[in-house]
Amino acid sequence: MASCSHLTQFTKDSLSTYRKICAWFIAGSSKKTRRAKTTRKCHECGTPSNRLHACLCCVYFGCYSGLKHIHSHAKQKDHKLAVDLTYGVVYCFLCGDYAHDEVLEKILREERAKAWRSYGNKTALYEHWLPGRKDVELLKRNVKYQRVCDNSIIGLRGLINLGNTCFMNCIVQAFTHTPLLRDYFLADQHKCKKQDGTCIVCAMVSLFQEFYSGERTPHIPFKLLHLVWTNARHLAGYEQQDAHEFFIAALDVLHQYCKDDSDETIKSDNPHHCNCIIDRIFTGGLQSELKCQVCSSVSTTIDPFWDISLDLGNVLNNGNGKSNTFIASAASVPSPTLSDDYLLSCTPPESDHLDDSFVPRSLIECLKRFTRVERLGSEGKTKCNTCESYQEATKQLSMKKLPIVVCFHLKVC
Amino acid sequence: MAADLDRKQRDSEMKNAINNKLNENFERERLMELLRTRLKECGWRDKLTQECKDIIREKGLDKVTVDDLVTEITPKAREMVPDEVKRELLERIRSYFGDNV
Repeated sequence: MASCSHLTQFTKDSLSTYRKICAWFIAGSSKKTRRAKTTRKCHECGTPSNRLHACLCCVYFGCYSGLKHIHSHAKQKDHKLAVDLTYGVVYCFLCGDYAHDEVLEKILREERAKAWRSYGNKTALYEHWLPGRKDVELLKRNVKYQRVCDNSIIGLRGLINLGNTCFMNCIVQAFTHTPLLRDYFLADQHKCKKQDGTCIVCAMVSLFQEFYSGERTPHIPFKLLHLVWTNARHLAGYEQQDAHEFFIAALDVLHQYCKDDSDETIKSDNPHHCNCIIDRIFTGGLQSELKCQVCSSVSTTIDPFWDISLDLGNVLNNGNGKSNTFIASAASVPSPTLSDDYLLSCTPPESDHLDDSFVPRSLIECLKRFTRVERLGSEGKTKCNTCESYQEATKQLSMKKLPIVVCFHLKVC
Repeated sequence: MAADLDRKQRDSEMKNAINNKLNENFERERLMELLRTRLKECGWRDKLTQECKDIIREKGLDKVTVDDLVTEITPKAREMVPDEVKRELLERIRSYFGDNV
């Protein structure tokens, strides 16, 4: 798709036509325009599909595939440019192909972003990376072509154990293969104000670059380990540590250092009220409902969470207090058994999960147990705001907001 | 013949009714968005991009138009849509009409 002289001529005269079509029929940035968008159809045969195009010279919508009414319109009226109403690209009938124009693309991007915000989205619209002038020059100078094929092992790299640091290595491996974190770090989104090498996010950036460099020898994460020691004192030393503890500490430290990166103009919608990459990916909201047994009034609190501790119950032959952590990514693998809908709909639980002695055998059962109605009993009386006295209550946990990547911590008592 | 014509007319009336129903509440847009998301998630889009790139590289950038590309890739692209995606979409459409008719 190259630019074409006919289109260039057009952009000099009437950009406003294109913007108007974008705003009304392609992006749809208000309720009114969205209503108009749904009514678009071919002026000849009335079909709403078949790749509708709008003539840029007059008010005419026509189908492109199917009966090709936009083609006959172009021929009859000698109107040579038409815009695709799905993607916003412009077709030139003289050149017989779609043409590309930077100015028009910019308008389209602006209108799309406007529409995105009008839907109530607080975050910025995800956009594909576009090379700037500098990037184009760099790409021209470095013409070596690399393609990652399906059976490529790029991104897979071993980590040297630096003396009982397997707790760190396994979490680092999980981090480096979280697609959203990878995209963030490899896209150079971290803007560091410290230049003294003490920033742990910078260490993560170089770690990601190491992982995706195509190198096959194991990597030695000494720099990261050192920074972990200085940032989380309780993990320092060559002793065995808990991977889950490290995970939480890592999130905490990364969150501290990432805070400055976040765009403060965009309001965050996660329960931590923070916009850093860590909170955007890992923070969810846990809702806890206390229901007074006397007056049935419910008080609700929502707490941010990074992980969910799931009780495995009394498993006799495994009762050595060891814990396991695993991270499920909703972004990378759409799992058929554990869909978001299921997680959200697993309350209220069935009666057989109410029993304390129940031993869950699957993640789903663990979650059912986690979200069951719990009787707090006479020792756990809480103050009811309606009764204004201490009353027995039941408590139920549910997920108010699921993070993109959720971490489950399996506990064995 | 008359019955045939009658059926044709009923079919087109039905088609119109369905189209109008889809335009209400922006359901068509919603379905389109769902389809787009699912196709992205299952890797269909990436695979298709790669196929297109291969065709362009094979034929030469200046010798292929978008129309050529569309004609060549369409049958393959349809085939590549996973059955689960089709099923989910069908299920959604069915439930939408189930609730609204």
